[in-house]
Amino acid sequence: MVSERTLMLIHYLTGLGILVAGAVHIGTVFLTAPVKENLEFSGSPFSVMGVYRNAILAASLEALLLFVAFHAFNGLRVILIELYQSPRWERAVTWILTVAALLVVIYGTRTILIAYSIAQGVA
Amino acid sequence: MAGRRNGLAVLVEALRTWLIPYRYGLERWSYTLQRISGVVITLYFVAHIVETGYVVGGPSVWTIRPDAQQYAERVWTETIKFLSNPLFDAGLAIIGFFVAFHTINGIRLFLAHFGWGLGRPTRPEPMHRPQSMSPIQRALFWASIAFAVFALVYTIDAFFGVLA
Repeated sequence: MVSERTLMLIHYLTGLGILVAGAVHIGTVFLTAPVKENLEFSGSPFSVMGVYRNAILAASLEALLLFVAFHAFNGLRVILIELYQSPRWERAVTWILTVAALLVVIYGTRTILIAYSIAQGVA
Repeated sequence: MAGRRNGLAVLVEALRTWLIPYRYGLERWSYTLQRISGVVITLYFVAHIVETGYVVGGPSVWTIRPDAQQYAERVWTETIKFLSNPLFDAGLAIIGFFVAFHTINGIRLFLAHFGWGLGRPTRPEPMHRPQSMSPIQRALFWASIAFAVFALVYTIDAFFGVLA
């Protein structure tokens, strides 16, 4: 088992990672053009397909997915083992949340890979 | 049975102290808001992954379909149309508020955890203030509230155009 100290260090590091990757994600949607324009499927440089055509932006979304998945589910784990304490409860919480986080990462990665592939074909 | 009832009582008591931050100072407000915002953002995050997952075909699609682009464009446009109403816009403004708060307050906790910007420990004389809430830390807490309000106003303006 990974120690609590290591988990909290990763929690802080992923927090810093979200600070960067999240700023890029929110910045591309809200700051590059009017929101309604960026929320279109394709056409402008930062529309959905515009973002996914750019390999660096697509990779930053994958990084954001990994960071947020760890940060969110570790945060839930901290809350749940703070609300009630027993070895059985802690083991159950850890296992269920690890599986949930992995499912979210796998599903989200699939979405990103397919969207990236589609974007490469969109003129 | 007794064990289970005891567990439930512990849970209710924990939630009560968790969700009612009155009378314990600024740090308790920071604690409660950080946890509530974290849970809300997690719910949004999972919903966002599910919602974007449907744009490329949902849980059953793991390869690139021949009509992938037309399919994705159609579902994306329908999804945006479905989500473009005041209810979801207001929801996103609240998410913006919580994300902004969680970000700056998270930086404050990061600094506090590594001992930066904290005062020196003193004897807890009556009326003393905890050194973990030094002027820098207090300023950062209020900065997180200010940034959260700014994000709320900015998001509302982006969707409803009230400031234009």
